Amino acid sequence: MADETEIEQLRSRVAALEAELVEVQARANAAVAEWQERAYWLDRWHLDLNAAMRRPGASEFRTVVRALRSVLWTLRRIKRGLSAS
Amino acid sequence: MNTVSVVIPVKDGERYLRELLDALAREGVDETLVIDSGSSDRSCEIARAAGVELLEIAPDEFGHGRTRNLGAERASGELICFLTQDATPCPGWLAAYREAFALDQRVGAAYGPHLARAGTSPMIARELGEFFAGFSPDGGPALQREGDASFLSNVNACYSRACWEEIRFRDVGYSEDQAFGADMLAAGWIKVYQPAAAVLHAHDYGPVEFMRRYFDEYRGLRESTGHVEPFAVSETARQVLRELGADRRWMAEHGMSGAERTLWSARSLTHHAGRRVFSAAGSRAERIPAPVRGRLSLERRDGVAADPGSNGASPVPPAKHIVKMLDAEVYDPVLRLWRNRPAPLLEPVPGMAERERLRLAMVIPPFSRGSGGHNTLFQIFSRLEQRGHACSVWLADYHGYARDVWPAVLRREINEYFAPFQGPVYKGFEHWQGADVAIATGWQTVHAMLELDQCRARAYVVNDHEPEFYPSATERELAADTYRYDLHCIAASPWLRDRLVELYDTSAEAFQLGVDHDVYRPRPVERRPDTVIYYARHATPRRAVPIGLMALAELKRRRPDVRIVLFGTGDGLHASFPYEHIDVLSPEQLSWLYSEATVGLCLSLTNFSLMPQEMLACGLPCVELAGVSAESIFGSDGPLELAQLDPDRIADAMERLLTDSAEWERRSREGIDAVAAHTWDRATDEVEAGLRHALRERELALRA
Repeated sequence: MADETEIEQLRSRVAALEAELVEVQARANAAVAEWQERAYWLDRWHLDLNAAMRRPGASEFRTVVRALRSVLWTLRRIKRGLSAS
Repeated sequence: MNTVSVVIPVKDGERYLRELLDALAREGVDETLVIDSGSSDRSCEIARAAGVELLEIAPDEFGHGRTRNLGAERASGELICFLTQDATPCPGWLAAYREAFALDQRVGAAYGPHLARAGTSPMIARELGEFFAGFSPDGGPALQREGDASFLSNVNACYSRACWEEIRFRDVGYSEDQAFGADMLAAGWIKVYQPAAAVLHAHDYGPVEFMRRYFDEYRGLRESTGHVEPFAVSETARQVLRELGADRRWMAEHGMSGAERTLWSARSLTHHAGRRVFSAAGSRAERIPAPVRGRLSLERRDGVAADPGSNGASPVPPAKHIVKMLDAEVYDPVLRLWRNRPAPLLEPVPGMAERERLRLAMVIPPFSRGSGGHNTLFQIFSRLEQRGHACSVWLADYHGYARDVWPAVLRREINEYFAPFQGPVYKGFEHWQGADVAIATGWQTVHAMLELDQCRARAYVVNDHEPEFYPSATERELAADTYRYDLHCIAASPWLRDRLVELYDTSAEAFQLGVDHDVYRPRPVERRPDTVIYYARHATPRRAVPIGLMALAELKRRRPDVRIVLFGTGDGLHASFPYEHIDVLSPEQLSWLYSEATVGLCLSLTNFSLMPQEMLACGLPCVELAGVSAESIFGSDGPLELAQLDPDRIADAMERLLTDSAEWERRSREGIDAVAAHTWDRATDEVEAGLRHALRERELALRA
């Protein structure tokens, strides 16, 4: 009797683990699918941003863009400041 | 440290031979072998005086490849260098070669630059410098692998014994080094250009001798690699002027006087023009009469390689080297499976067949818009996903049809072309995660799917008996092979199920193709009395389009007023009767077409397809072939008008529906009624039952 109870408990545990596995898989599927949905246009245009950023000059290009952006934001702040005053 | 032997073929080479042998002694090579093929000058005497090994052969025994193979056989070094009799190693030459072979274990050969001797003409000096600089933009040793330049020159080259033993020089009249370079790269060896392993060398001939030498060189290149030098007058003129300009710049940079530059410019013009003409002629030498050929050749060789007895060369035409284009053969997964057998399945878990949610992974072949088989798969898979199963899709693409389509795009296309699918879509199996049931869906997916591990069961959704798609061919055999792995088959009709059981004795059950009744229903449009529509997909041989066209031609002969519309294919289908054409339509458009036509014609020589059911759902009577698969769904006297595979009988069936309005009414009504129960939900029930059956079989196998 004790054996049967133990077997039943083990079966329940296996069933719970299996259900958990399906749940984890479903969540992983959803995460990948969501990423694929977001990456549609990158995939459509064959853009691998990691590969692009590994190319020579990419980080320098990024630095230049950030610097320009910083200048632009500063100019906007000044303009807003002037408008407010 | 590798031992080094140097082999030098010689004929009348006294001019530089002593200098060359002295340089080798200075470099400290382990062994030097001079092979003399009948010198009439003091070459042999110089070799003997230098104390190197001298091998004398008869002049007619000489061959560029043959004699070098002989030298390599006689030499004992682990590295074998070849020099020509006028190539003098520069200091550091030997150490540079040893360094090149230490760069990678697969280095099979290395070669160094040829530096111009003092007094060499500007054209040659410039070209040598530019040519070799091109192999090493950074000035250091450059490794060359398959797909890179195959250039190799026995004026100054060094080989590992292992590479030479595997490849050996071809017994060709000329350019044995170029052929070796191509052969070794194709065999996976690496070649190194070593700028530090330089020799002084120049072939500075007079203008005429130069041209004749180019004739010989390009004839050799043609014989060894199949290269034919292109030649067009205008392009040649442009190239010659470009070369002349480069020579003049080089002369200016090297401080030559105006008079010298003028003199050498005339020579440069002659040199480059003659070179283009004689190179082109040399690579087409077989078209030139033998006596002329002999006079054009500096070596006075009037034969070509294909002539028996010419320099002992084979009469077999020159073979062309084709570089590797694929990472693996197209059906490599099949070969791997045959060698390794299917991956083992996971141990079954009791009760898994009854679990509410399963992990399902469907492996699909590439698709395009309008693919009926994929529509079936995704109508069902979409519903399985809606029922809570964790579903993923994996594309097996043997032929690279979807090479340029990335996964997110594939996923969007599945949603756009077929049915809503929320799960992920993968190309290939790099990220394979295992599944409760891995599902193959076409013969191209089965071998790859059987290699996947971490699965509890496998199943095979079979849309058709695919070996029948092919004539006697590899694909036919491979398709048939897929039914022999004890996969539980879920077949898209009772006919197909019976065929699988009968031919392959496999475990199989059937499901009923569904109809999307929201789309395929009678539309509010007046039905025409005179229109036959025909699914004329001639790119699919099982659609028996020539038979269908003959039937329509007969119908048109009997009833010239009938309107015939061909759809589902590109235009340009040749027929002996006038017809109207509509390209591939969306499901919505098709339902309207079916709702206004009088008779539908859709033939299948194999399994039943979606289209006749969809026609019936729109109230359109449809003619199909008798004696194939339709009877297994609707019986022999069901809503479909069945006709034997005979154009006259098919024309009879269509004419009956056009002329007998009572019969048309009956077929139309019975068609709508018959397919009302054919839903994708029902199909999904049946396929899901099949998947659970596959799991249950695994549990039963464990208990047994």
